[in-house]
Amino acid sequence: MRFFTPGAAKASIKFRMPTAENLVPIRLDIDVDGNRFKDAFTWNPSDPDSEVTNFAKRTVKDLKLPSTFVAHISQSIQNQLSEFHSFEGQEMQIKEKIVPIKIDLRVNNTVIRDQFLWDISNLESDPEEFARTFCKDMDIGDPEVGPAIAVSIREQLYEIVTQSVSSARETRIGKKGRRASDTLTNSKAGITMDLGKLFGSKGSVVRKRKEWYLYEPIVDILSNEEVGALDAREELNARLKRKLDEKDESFQTRYSHG
Amino acid sequence: MLKELLSGAMETTQPAASAPAPAPVPASSQTFTPSSAKSADPPHLLQTPSVSSTKSEGMVAEPRDPPSSASLHPPEPSSSAGPSHASSSYVITIPSCSGWFSWDQIHNTERRILPEFFDGKSASKNSEVYKYYRDFIIRRFRVNPTRKITLTDVRRELVGDIGSIRRVFDFLEEWGLINYTPLAKPSAEDKKGNDEGLEKKETPRRICTNCKSPCSMACFTTDKADIILCARCFVRGDYRPGLSSTDFRRLNITEETKTDWTDKETLHLLEAILHYGEEWKKVAEHVGTRSEIDCIARFIKLPFGEQFLGPEGSINGNPHKEKDEMTTKSIEDNALEQGSPKRMRLTPLADASNPIMAQVSFLSAVVGSNVAQAAAQAAVSALPKVEIASGFTVNDEKLHSAADGAKEEDSPAVDQQAYSEILSVAAAEAQAKLETEQKDVERYISDIVQVQMKEIQDKIIHFEELEYLLEKERLQLRHMKDLLFEDQLTYLQHNTRPISKGAEGQNTKSNNHVP
Repeated sequence: MRFFTPGAAKASIKFRMPTAENLVPIRLDIDVDGNRFKDAFTWNPSDPDSEVTNFAKRTVKDLKLPSTFVAHISQSIQNQLSEFHSFEGQEMQIKEKIVPIKIDLRVNNTVIRDQFLWDISNLESDPEEFARTFCKDMDIGDPEVGPAIAVSIREQLYEIVTQSVSSARETRIGKKGRRASDTLTNSKAGITMDLGKLFGSKGSVVRKRKEWYLYEPIVDILSNEEVGALDAREELNARLKRKLDEKDESFQTRYSHG
Repeated sequence: MLKELLSGAMETTQPAASAPAPAPVPASSQTFTPSSAKSADPPHLLQTPSVSSTKSEGMVAEPRDPPSSASLHPPEPSSSAGPSHASSSYVITIPSCSGWFSWDQIHNTERRILPEFFDGKSASKNSEVYKYYRDFIIRRFRVNPTRKITLTDVRRELVGDIGSIRRVFDFLEEWGLINYTPLAKPSAEDKKGNDEGLEKKETPRRICTNCKSPCSMACFTTDKADIILCARCFVRGDYRPGLSSTDFRRLNITEETKTDWTDKETLHLLEAILHYGEEWKKVAEHVGTRSEIDCIARFIKLPFGEQFLGPEGSINGNPHKEKDEMTTKSIEDNALEQGSPKRMRLTPLADASNPIMAQVSFLSAVVGSNVAQAAAQAAVSALPKVEIASGFTVNDEKLHSAADGAKEEDSPAVDQQAYSEILSVAAAEAQAKLETEQKDVERYISDIVQVQMKEIQDKIIHFEELEYLLEKERLQLRHMKDLLFEDQLTYLQHNTRPISKGAEGQNTKSNNHVP
């Protein structure tokens, strides 16, 4: 039996989401005059641009938001889409790589924490199906959890994939001796599992019992007070972060002219 | 035929197909079953797909062009042509053009209009996913059919990309499978010949645009947007962001929508009361357009109404006479026959053929019922002799009033003695009845008491038995405890002394054996 060693297969393909459907995760976080609108969903990048404005209008109408939001929403979506498109022409290297995906979400009253392995090179993978099955198996009552999980998975995949694009560029430009796997292993995107160790002679596919707890999904239902407390804390953190960012910016602008 | 069409694409029906337990939808007390969801017409409609996909005019906003638009279906009354499902208290209606819809299957129309799910180009977009979206959206809508669901509601809870969800949603909305309320379509209303599904009262009812409930007390309306809100919605502030509370003006409806009672209705009311007495349900039915409460209220408000409210026994000739006049005046047809027993019961004293009775009624009318009653009672108690005559026909309700409807067969000559005789006879009869009643009551009470006693006795017996059983159990337990103690001792003995000292152990055992 041949063992696949990491770094052996270097399939270089055009950039795309490593899923069956080439869908982009979009995250909206718009704050206008104190009205905050947060949302996250999946978008099909091959939809025409008119879809974006239609969607923005419809969302604003359905949720009865002030009409200033239409412009903000469309712009945010367009930005993220064009970022995605900018990656599209380039090449990326997908190796036989299994990455851990972590889910750590809070949706309304439900907290989900989970960790599992995902095969990046499987271009037919389906985060949506995973999310649906997850919710069904874990008997999750809140229907908003499913999409949140799917979006979270997609975002992580997206990040991994964009990292691989940038590293592919680096390897071409960089020194000859450097192996792509090193840069990739050091990337923040994820820690590659050493498949050789897993599937080698001493390893087995069955996970060790003492590791089971690491990979077990945790679904918690919070009470309303806890939710309120967490929301307040997040709000506070976000505000502090924003203040710090502004400070940083002003600091930079002040001293960059010097 | 359906199966052949679908065999290629459909895999095993997913659990999501079963209506009773949908996971994503919050638990609702729906009662429609998948089998009933199959419309009554699928065979017809499916055999002629072109006709079925033709939309009847005015049903939906945008008419689609089917491949071969043959003759248009005459627009059927939109409310019940399609299958109606009873769900909680609502009736869900869908236009006849969407009659092909069924929970278990995917129809050609759906395949045609949303090809992305069925062409196999993408592995994750398949018929199962489509079915999952469709069923979820429709179920979500049917949880609260009076409220239109929006895309945003739905897409937040569906896993998938926005574009596909939006397309399914738009498709369903266009074909009236969701957000379809016949009331909302003005053209559909025109075609209604009768009040199918709409309860139009004669007076215009204001329906709150927000919560779709009729406004009862006061409504708030604004000219800016043609919105009517009931008081609750107004207070809650549930209107569009563009409006503020100052834009609304208040309209009081409490008295506006309530019409006055027409003469005809009053007539019916009185008729009904005469017929049915105090069975307000039947009275309301007879009147027709008024509820029970309205009838009662109206009746009370009538000028002579109060006098009817007492028990008929204490009502004497006065109100009856008046009522007679009223009824004879207001009733055009002869609803009351002369000989009807109820009438006789009510107005026995007005029987002019008996001059004595006529006199008595006149007297009691002059003095009023209470006084007449008091006088009669005094007369009764003063009479020494009590003669019980036979041949009485007395009604039970008249017992306590002297001017009872006691009809005598032959009245003797008009003189005082006859008068007192009549009274005494009536009194005696009354007495007898009273005594029997009392005896009955006493008997009942003693019966009740006996039954209670028996109950208590039974309980005592039961408890005694229980006690006995418990005692036995306790003794058993004690016995077992003793046995256990014995065993423990022997065991300890065996353990502490080694086997070599077996003999000694035996001795000690026998010595230390505690009874």
